[in-house]
Amino acid sequence: MDIIIVGSGKVGFSLAEQLALEEHNVTVIDDDEDSLRRAADQLDVMTVQGNGVSAASLREAGANSADLLVATTNSDEVNMVCCLTAKNLGTGYTVARIRNPEYNSNIAELRRNLKIDMVINPENATAIEIFRLLRFPAAANIETFCRGRVELMGVRLQEGDFIVGKPLHALSSQVKKLSLLFCAADREGQVSIPNGAFVPQAGDKLYLIGQPESLDQFFRLLGRNAHKVKQVFLLGGGKVSLYLAKILDSVGIRLKIVERGEERCRLISEKFPRATVICGDGTDSELLESENLAGCDAFVALTDRDEDNLIISLYAMQQGLPKVVTKCNRQNYAGIVRSLGLDSVVSPKFITASHILHRVRGMQNSQGSVMNSLHRIAGGGAEAMEFTVGPTTRNLGVPLKGLRLRKGVLLAVIVRGKDIIIPEGNSYLQEEDSVIIIARGGGILDLNDIYEDEAGFTSPAGGGER
Amino acid sequence: MNIKLVLKLVGRVLLVEAAALVLPLAVALLYGEDPMPFLLTIAIMAACGFGLSALRAKRQFFTREGFIAVGLIWIITGLVGALPFLFSGTFASPIDCIFESCSGFTTTGASILTDIEAMPKGILFWRSFTHWLGGMGVLVLATAIVPSLGIRSHYLTQAETPGPVFSKLVPKQSQTSKILYSMYCALTGAEVICLKLAGMPLYDAFIHAFSSAGTGGFSNRNASVGAYNSLAIEMIITVFILLFSINFAVYFLILTRRWREALRSDELRFFGCVVAGTTLVISLANLGVYGGIWESLRYTVFQVASLISTTGFATADFVLWPQFSQLILILIMFCGACAGSTGGGMKCSRILLLFRVIRRGVRRIAHPRAVEVVKLDGKVVDDSTVHSILLFVGGYLLIIFAAALFISLDGGSFSVSFSAALTCVSNVGPGLEVIGPTGNFAAFSPLSKGIMSLCMIIGRLEIFPILVLFSPSAWRRA
Repeated sequence: MDIIIVGSGKVGFSLAEQLALEEHNVTVIDDDEDSLRRAADQLDVMTVQGNGVSAASLREAGANSADLLVATTNSDEVNMVCCLTAKNLGTGYTVARIRNPEYNSNIAELRRNLKIDMVINPENATAIEIFRLLRFPAAANIETFCRGRVELMGVRLQEGDFIVGKPLHALSSQVKKLSLLFCAADREGQVSIPNGAFVPQAGDKLYLIGQPESLDQFFRLLGRNAHKVKQVFLLGGGKVSLYLAKILDSVGIRLKIVERGEERCRLISEKFPRATVICGDGTDSELLESENLAGCDAFVALTDRDEDNLIISLYAMQQGLPKVVTKCNRQNYAGIVRSLGLDSVVSPKFITASHILHRVRGMQNSQGSVMNSLHRIAGGGAEAMEFTVGPTTRNLGVPLKGLRLRKGVLLAVIVRGKDIIIPEGNSYLQEEDSVIIIARGGGILDLNDIYEDEAGFTSPAGGGER
Repeated sequence: MNIKLVLKLVGRVLLVEAAALVLPLAVALLYGEDPMPFLLTIAIMAACGFGLSALRAKRQFFTREGFIAVGLIWIITGLVGALPFLFSGTFASPIDCIFESCSGFTTTGASILTDIEAMPKGILFWRSFTHWLGGMGVLVLATAIVPSLGIRSHYLTQAETPGPVFSKLVPKQSQTSKILYSMYCALTGAEVICLKLAGMPLYDAFIHAFSSAGTGGFSNRNASVGAYNSLAIEMIITVFILLFSINFAVYFLILTRRWREALRSDELRFFGCVVAGTTLVISLANLGVYGGIWESLRYTVFQVASLISTTGFATADFVLWPQFSQLILILIMFCGACAGSTGGGMKCSRILLLFRVIRRGVRRIAHPRAVEVVKLDGKVVDDSTVHSILLFVGGYLLIIFAAALFISLDGGSFSVSFSAALTCVSNVGPGLEVIGPTGNFAAFSPLSKGIMSLCMIIGRLEIFPILVLFSPSAWRRA
């Protein structure tokens, strides 16, 4: 597809990177020369210098024939006008990043009038993601498939968990009859796809996929579902905090919000009269202790400094809080802290990019290719993908035991109508199934890529270099 | 420094070149000549190519690796391209083979052959075919047909494509390379047809079309294009070498019907003005040599086109022209063709920007606080580009002088040493006096031939990739 990305900031860059890797024709527009050069140097994209709202720049980038335009500049207004101009020039589908809550209140009208096909609010999306993590405190991260009917969760095993030290095939029938699958394991950064002989150890991060109810039961068996989150400690009073507070407040979770700016505190307390709002420096451990941090069920660090968030989160973990969520925009930091046990790290830029990517893949689907969504799991060591089985898919109706799949590829779930099937030897694929594939290392772009044979193998040559 | 990946790339490019050798092999078989030189070379290249491509390397690839890979690939290409010449046994010494091969790939067209017509047809075909391959670039070819050179393949083509700023035609590098080569093939094909219609034998038409496409200058006749003594052939070649010295992006704009943008190009206008102006001035100055203005114009326009495009074909011996004319020819050898074309030299856009920067400098002396931006095609040229152009011009001149110094050890006159260095770095071909259009480079010492071969590659890659290759800081681990 021909894709134009306006704004080469954090989100724009990571979007361009992913889309270019997926073989799209990407053109980036920005008026800042340095960030454009960075994009041109590191990515296989074309760059156009200019203002995204000017028809001339848009036309130069090919907006009259582009399939998709994503406006991710730091100004909502520029993004909106940009989408409108592009739509009038002939762009097929427009996505705008709009973050001002004032606009969000009448977003439907704006979308209609400005012909924006999709609006993404990074802060709101982040808040929703955090809420999902808080709802299920045992899971370090949660991905959803098939409109929430299938969930994938990661859990860090601890000493004393009943599945530690036993091979998976020796698990009790109680676990075996649950509709779920152990689909990936991350042991000190080494990602593997476990088979029956896999012996989980304490410290491993195990990924499970299945129906939400089954996962729920599994966690109950594991004894990790004891506490539901009732009291949340929020650090920082920025936009994400406000969106999150709104959601949490509406489901009756008690809030304690620490924010430095007095003016801001007043605003928060005005909006959430039930919340305890504390004006003070959240990086001060004495303040945290005096506000009884250890008494809360969950801690969410949302200040605008990645470093502060990470350090305070480590502190909170040390204080024994059962659930700690950290906002961190920089991926390289997240890698460091993951080794320290901080699992639930969310990045607004990453979430925004992945929301848009889901949409792009959905559009592609209608154009012939079949991937609906892709989630990176285990620190990028594996990918979980949802495909729709189409008429071009090979080996329809053939039982799986008669097929050879590529190494490091797992056919995890088949969704057929209302049924969620965890595949076994006699299972088979048929048209209009949705399937979820787990692949180590990635490189699968089409459902036919999962078969171990040369025909239809579209992964780039030289895959062994990774 | 990810040397393994660089070697792997070298291997891939060698495979592409081995495949390209099939064409001269076919020609040799067609004319019933000994195919062994080509078979041996293909075997060696394929063996090295497969061996190196099988290396397992990390994917780290940055500007440094890109530049070193390009420099290394071109030097190796120059060396292995000499193998068919070496195996054919028709060349005097190995250094001559290397000189001829470098001259071919860099589209210089300087030759050490004294009697070209005595050579086997397959060898001559390969010699001109190297022009064609080197003109658009072996790496551009490799990125066009080998999809998995790595995601950052633009680092490679960027270092290989001439010009101050590198821009893609379409978002994907491999797609850009494909478009470039399709246009290149189409133009070459058109020239072959035109030359055939004008009465040239088909074999000669291919040789001359390859040489003009790469703006190289190898001919299969001792007297170059002058041997045909046909106005039609001269005009066809003049038009095509000028077409090949225009930025290929202009053709892409025309193909996508963006006429206004295409014709607005400052560089194109400047190139046109220089060609028209110098042709007129030299024709007038040459009136004493030729009978009338039309005859003078006929030989002058061919020579101007041949030298500004850095091709180096000849219909007249310009060494016999007045000094004034010769000096202008030397100046346009400096200038060269447009950026993004197959021609050499410093490139018109750089010269144009240089003039504008100098003008700004002079105005700044008069108005020290004046703020003025340098523009090209109506767009502001940022200071780092201006800086890199000044750096390039300085480096270019220094290298020419340094090379001239070494060449002068042979004891030739200043004109010979200097024009030899200039013609090699600018990838033109002929120089002045004994190395003029009717002379050749056979008389130089092996040292000079080696220096000149290196100069041609330095000039073709626009200096920096080769300098990086010889800089210790690029190889250090930390």
